[in-house]
Amino acid sequence: MTTKRMLLAAALAAATSLTSPAFAQSVLRLDEVAVGELDPAKASDYADSILMFNVYDTLVLPRQGGPGHDPHLATAWEVDGSSYTFTLRDDVTFQSGNPLRAADVVYSLERMQAMGQGLSYLFSGVTAEAVSEHSVRFTLEEPYAPFVASLVRLPIVDQMLVEENATGDDPWAEAFLSANGAGTGAYMVSSHNPQSETVMAVNDGYFLPINDAAPDQVRLRYGLEAATVRTLLAQGEHDIASQWLPPEVIRALAADGAQLLTESGTGAFYVKLNTTRPPLDDVNCRRALSHAFDYGTAMQMIAITDEISQGSPATGAIPVGMFGANGPEMSLSRDMAAAEAAMEACPYAPEDWNLEITWIAEVPIEERFALLMQANFAELGISSSIETLPWALFTERVSTPENTPHISQIFVNAVTGDPDTLLYGMYHSSVPGTWQSPEYLDDAAVDAALEAGRVGATDAEREAAYGQLNARLMELAPTIYGFDRQSVFAASDRVRAPALSDPDMAFGLDGMGFSFRLMEMVE
Amino acid sequence: MLPVLRILLRRLGISAVVLVGVSMLIFAIARVIPGDPARIALGPSASAEQVTALRAEMHLDEPLVAQYGHFVSDVLRGDLGQSLYTNRPVTRDIAEFLPATLELVIFAGILMVALGLPLGILAARHRGRWPDHLIRVLTLLTVSAPSFVWAVILMLLFAFYLPLFPVAGRISDIYEIERITGFLTVDTLLAGNFAAFADALHHLVLPAVALALSGIGQAARLTRANMVETYQKPYIEMAQAYGFFPSRIARSYAFKPSLIPSLTIIGLDFAAMLGNAFLVEAVFAWPGLSRYGVNVILRKDLNAIMGTVLIIALTFLIVNIIVDLLIAFLNPRIRHSTRAAS
Repeated sequence: MTTKRMLLAAALAAATSLTSPAFAQSVLRLDEVAVGELDPAKASDYADSILMFNVYDTLVLPRQGGPGHDPHLATAWEVDGSSYTFTLRDDVTFQSGNPLRAADVVYSLERMQAMGQGLSYLFSGVTAEAVSEHSVRFTLEEPYAPFVASLVRLPIVDQMLVEENATGDDPWAEAFLSANGAGTGAYMVSSHNPQSETVMAVNDGYFLPINDAAPDQVRLRYGLEAATVRTLLAQGEHDIASQWLPPEVIRALAADGAQLLTESGTGAFYVKLNTTRPPLDDVNCRRALSHAFDYGTAMQMIAITDEISQGSPATGAIPVGMFGANGPEMSLSRDMAAAEAAMEACPYAPEDWNLEITWIAEVPIEERFALLMQANFAELGISSSIETLPWALFTERVSTPENTPHISQIFVNAVTGDPDTLLYGMYHSSVPGTWQSPEYLDDAAVDAALEAGRVGATDAEREAAYGQLNARLMELAPTIYGFDRQSVFAASDRVRAPALSDPDMAFGLDGMGFSFRLMEMVE
Repeated sequence: MLPVLRILLRRLGISAVVLVGVSMLIFAIARVIPGDPARIALGPSASAEQVTALRAEMHLDEPLVAQYGHFVSDVLRGDLGQSLYTNRPVTRDIAEFLPATLELVIFAGILMVALGLPLGILAARHRGRWPDHLIRVLTLLTVSAPSFVWAVILMLLFAFYLPLFPVAGRISDIYEIERITGFLTVDTLLAGNFAAFADALHHLVLPAVALALSGIGQAARLTRANMVETYQKPYIEMAQAYGFFPSRIARSYAFKPSLIPSLTIIGLDFAAMLGNAFLVEAVFAWPGLSRYGVNVILRKDLNAIMGTVLIIALTFLIVNIIVDLLIAFLNPRIRHSTRAAS
């Protein structure tokens, strides 16, 4: 072909390519802010969870539309004191073709514990043994009532495949599992580029039926700007936007015709006060801030439409619906008279305060809450400065109490759906400083209630323990309980996601609503 | 020895010294950024023992000089270490992400030269008349707003309101092109897939224009100013007195000497675009090295920071050498001064 002909062909192709390309297979495109971690033993945040719940399976799943758990890779389980014996399905194969065995479950637990990353802390003090080819027994060092709930965070990896890819320097094949899947999940990893996207394809050999209309391919994109997401959705080149878009962008997308999907019930927005640094080492000073915070304005800031908001009013430390939570009628509100009374009892003069209010750079809405707090606290005569912290730097700073800012803003959720995984890591004095616990709270009554919640034999006992905890946390005011969180996702009308739109189909666990096998693509 | 060769050797020597200096500077700066890279990499749940072990593995528990020694020794073996951000060798990340940025910057550079210089010449030739005024206003507009502002404006105009161009990525999802050079416009041609080539070009337009606009304005304004100055030189007046055509005067007598300062600025702009492209890459979800650089800095990924900065510095130096050689080629006085100095 001559150069002229080649140029002509290219020009013609360019002209034709101005129309959107047609897909031969159904493709779901969504995005997350953070890069998804493919290695299930390192998974912890929302993007990691989406990958984990689709590439891997767990022994149990949260029951859709209600409390409790249903068997998944397991068919049943028995509890004997601190020993839990699970019977596995015998018709499950990994994506590699290897059969699922009890040994894989044991290996998955041991790998997670040895690596010590992600949510491995959920399984400290747990041992496992293969009783038979399809039976595995877990033994707990100490009673832990929500153990079955925690198993939704133990993804089962293909031991044989992982060991084939292990080396002397990398005994757990971390390099392999950071770029590849080794699970039984409904979707297989086609490619993983931390800079742009993870591409997954449906697993035709999945052990459960997959909806015919479920996407054939999923592209999970990373780090898209809000303007980019909005344009992509308008062009029909994107299907579900991440929850981290500013409310006005979600509002604009809804006005453009996007549907709004939601996921709620397991987390809240917390404004954390460092209880080790003056003036917040005094309970009255902290109470003054809690009373002065304008909860109503905060709710207005996160409203998307008249019906849908990124949260509902907080009633205390525990989100409504969980064990120990107050009812929705007890929503918190601003009380300047109480704030001024608390300031009277505070031993530090307000003119001497200079609070350091931080917000996480990756979550723009937090800057507005920082400005709101600055204005609210100024009404008490308190001066403050606002500082932006990238997430990575924030997690480093909170590792010591003296470096932890006076005020940090964090969205925290129960990683297993149980209040223990929401509250223990935040408030128990034995937990070292982490992003969840910049309060550095040290209170015997709080510790006792948290421990009682872990060992309660019945739901009623646990309810009572968390009720006491909630009351004590309200009294101590280590945190301003901003609002109960609801994740809102703007989506095109090309996709139906029952687990994110129908409360009877919701899982009650962050990220699990993104089980792609349950979604439907509409052409 | 040929004068140009002499210039080349001297520039290479200076570049090597600069590269070592940059590596030492960035090595030290990267380590004083607040935050423990081992803690950030392992996440908040990792135990103190695990963090300590990773710090030892990364030699972070050793004196700074010893750490730099390890770094130099690894670099000389072609090993830039492992990225804690991507969990892959840094060399692999650079090999994957650098072509995307280079392709974008080269395309933007071509736009800068192809539009900036002619606009400057046109303005100079019509000095004081409406084309000159129009070009000066337009170029002032392009230089007064940063690239990322143009990126958002172009996206809104030509992707959101007028959906003429794609807005994210380097190529449509339907094309699977075998990676040979990493430059998609080249790889698609090598694969003989012209539709994919056109698609890759289509994806390049908005980010490249956003990145180039400021440079186009600078090049045009500088070329105009130099051309105007050159037009006032006696030898141009003589050419005009001889009755040469204006186009011949512009092409043969005014343009070449006016080009030299413009070339220096274009060279610097081109190299600077490598580092400045990150916001354009972020807006257009372009998986390039600039965006990677910002991500690794935010995560204090020391190996990846060093690798990225060294590659950008190296590219900057190479571009500067090429510009120096071009200027020497265009300007005989530089060649002769080099010969006289030696």
